[in-house]
Amino acid sequence: MKKKILVIDDDLNIRDYLVSLFNDNGYDAYVAGDVKEGFNVAKKNKPDLITLDIELPGEWGPRFYRQLSQDPELKNIPVIVISGLSGHQYAVVNAVASFTKPFDRDELLKIVKETLI
Amino acid sequence: MSKQILIIDSNKDHAEALKTYIERQQYEVIIAITFDEAWHQLAYLSWDIILADPFLSEDMAACLDSAKKKNPLVQIIIFAQKDKLDAAMDFFESSAIHYLEIPVNSKALDLALIAACKNISLNIKINKYSETLSDLHKAQDLLNKLFEEVPCYISVQDRNFRITASNKLFKQHFGNQIGEFCFEIYKHRTSQCNDCPVAETFEDGKSHSTEEIVTSKFGKQYNVLTRTAPIRNEKGEITQVMEMSTNITEIRQLQDHLVSLGLMLGSMSHGVKGMLTALDGGIYQLETGLSKKDDDRVFKASGQIKQTADKIKKMVLEILFYAKSRELHYKEVNVADLVENVVSTIRSIAKKNKIKLDISIPNNLGKIEVDVNWMEATLVNLLENAVDASVYDRDKKNHCVKFHVSKTSDNQIHFIIKDNGIGMDLETKNKMFTLFFTSKGSQGTGLGLFIAHRVIKYHGGTVDVESEQGKGSQFNIYLPSQKPENLKIDEFPRVIL
Repeated sequence: MKKKILVIDDDLNIRDYLVSLFNDNGYDAYVAGDVKEGFNVAKKNKPDLITLDIELPGEWGPRFYRQLSQDPELKNIPVIVISGLSGHQYAVVNAVASFTKPFDRDELLKIVKETLI
Repeated sequence: MSKQILIIDSNKDHAEALKTYIERQQYEVIIAITFDEAWHQLAYLSWDIILADPFLSEDMAACLDSAKKKNPLVQIIIFAQKDKLDAAMDFFESSAIHYLEIPVNSKALDLALIAACKNISLNIKINKYSETLSDLHKAQDLLNKLFEEVPCYISVQDRNFRITASNKLFKQHFGNQIGEFCFEIYKHRTSQCNDCPVAETFEDGKSHSTEEIVTSKFGKQYNVLTRTAPIRNEKGEITQVMEMSTNITEIRQLQDHLVSLGLMLGSMSHGVKGMLTALDGGIYQLETGLSKKDDDRVFKASGQIKQTADKIKKMVLEILFYAKSRELHYKEVNVADLVENVVSTIRSIAKKNKIKLDISIPNNLGKIEVDVNWMEATLVNLLENAVDASVYDRDKKNHCVKFHVSKTSDNQIHFIIKDNGIGMDLETKNKMFTLFFTSKGSQGTGLGLFIAHRVIKYHGGTVDVESEQGKGSQFNIYLPSQKPENLKIDEFPRVIL
């Protein structure tokens, strides 16, 4: 069964990009544009990995991570931060990896693959 | 050094007798018996005292006169027979200091010589004094010139902060206000400023410096760097303080500009990164679409790339606008032409987002004097915002952006830009024209409305906004049709944060 990745980003074009990238490499992808939607989609689909933007409309990415880690069902899902903000690696301390936009596509896929073994 | 005396006398024996007598009193004496001899001695040597028989020759008077001119210090003593003395006096008047009768009375001669010596030393003193005085004048003139021409504002103040002297530049920018209070002239205040460096210098006699913002008599504000120095009287007490202010307005403006530019680049780098990522995404979709021969994907990719390129272009233009505060280039154009360009741009954006447009452009709008590029960009920006506000609104089904232009008087054009989108809350409404404020998250730069507002303001126009959250917003822009005459600034000032 294909592994599931949830992409949380407020930029439609970037969401499309990540979804295509993941689909092309054999993953199923779900999307969310903000924290609330992200949490709902995570609850519903139980993804194996989440990519998280930091600056989001309304509540920001770290808030999502805190909610996630307090949920017994979701707290073990690995998170990869992909953000344009510098210094974001400190925002989500337990993230598997942090990428700064614009990110290196191959590097991201490598980390995703390693994480989802 | 002993005084040198020339005796001019045709009677050689008489002359010799005088010489013998005078030499005893430590004078150096030479005798001239003929006019030629006398002329020669007077022409080539300088004498302290001349003892002369004026009737040696007819030219004697002229000869003595020129000697006096050559050396104004020379003292002339005349001796003559009793019957000729009057004539001699008429002739020489006060240019001789003494008139002696022949035979010369030795006491009278002594007194005459002593008087001559006194005169000489007095004259020398006077000469010295006047030389010193003229040197002093020259020095004072020079100092005064320096004081006047120093390229700073200089004022001298007494203990009450009244200005007692000021230099040229100060007078030029702040007026000739001797006797007025410093704080009044510099800052239009009615009481002493806090942390006044002049007061501190009166207190401790040291030089102090501060940075101040002062207002000239024309109402212009300058940043100045101020330094003070005490002025003391003979007893060493500080009676006045000199304040020297250097105008550093331009440096400060440049600094402010750089700071805000840095701030802007910092705040926008996030947006730029997002756009670059989206561009990467577009390229990826295009490449994979082509290799998979997936037309849908290629089509979608080209749309994304175009959209992102537009965004980057817009942002770069905004940055360029901001980085380069340029002058407005006014041109007279038909309002209809100006508006037509704006409408054609916004029509495509509205169509893409499925927003209806309600446009009203009557025929009677006439001409308007504006900077076409900036005014078009401004109107497009406001209309784009109206479209965005509609797109963001998911509560209503049908959205319409209204763009109505009308002539409200001979010299005013009214633009209405109205949408029924999400509207604004109070905070957004209050902050919308603020630099770097955006309600669009990473999609906005916080520059658009800031610049639009400035463009309108510097055209002498006004903009007011009505907005209700959930209902929509209406922008009313009023522009004068002529370039405003009395508008102080026709250049975009650099932002001071």
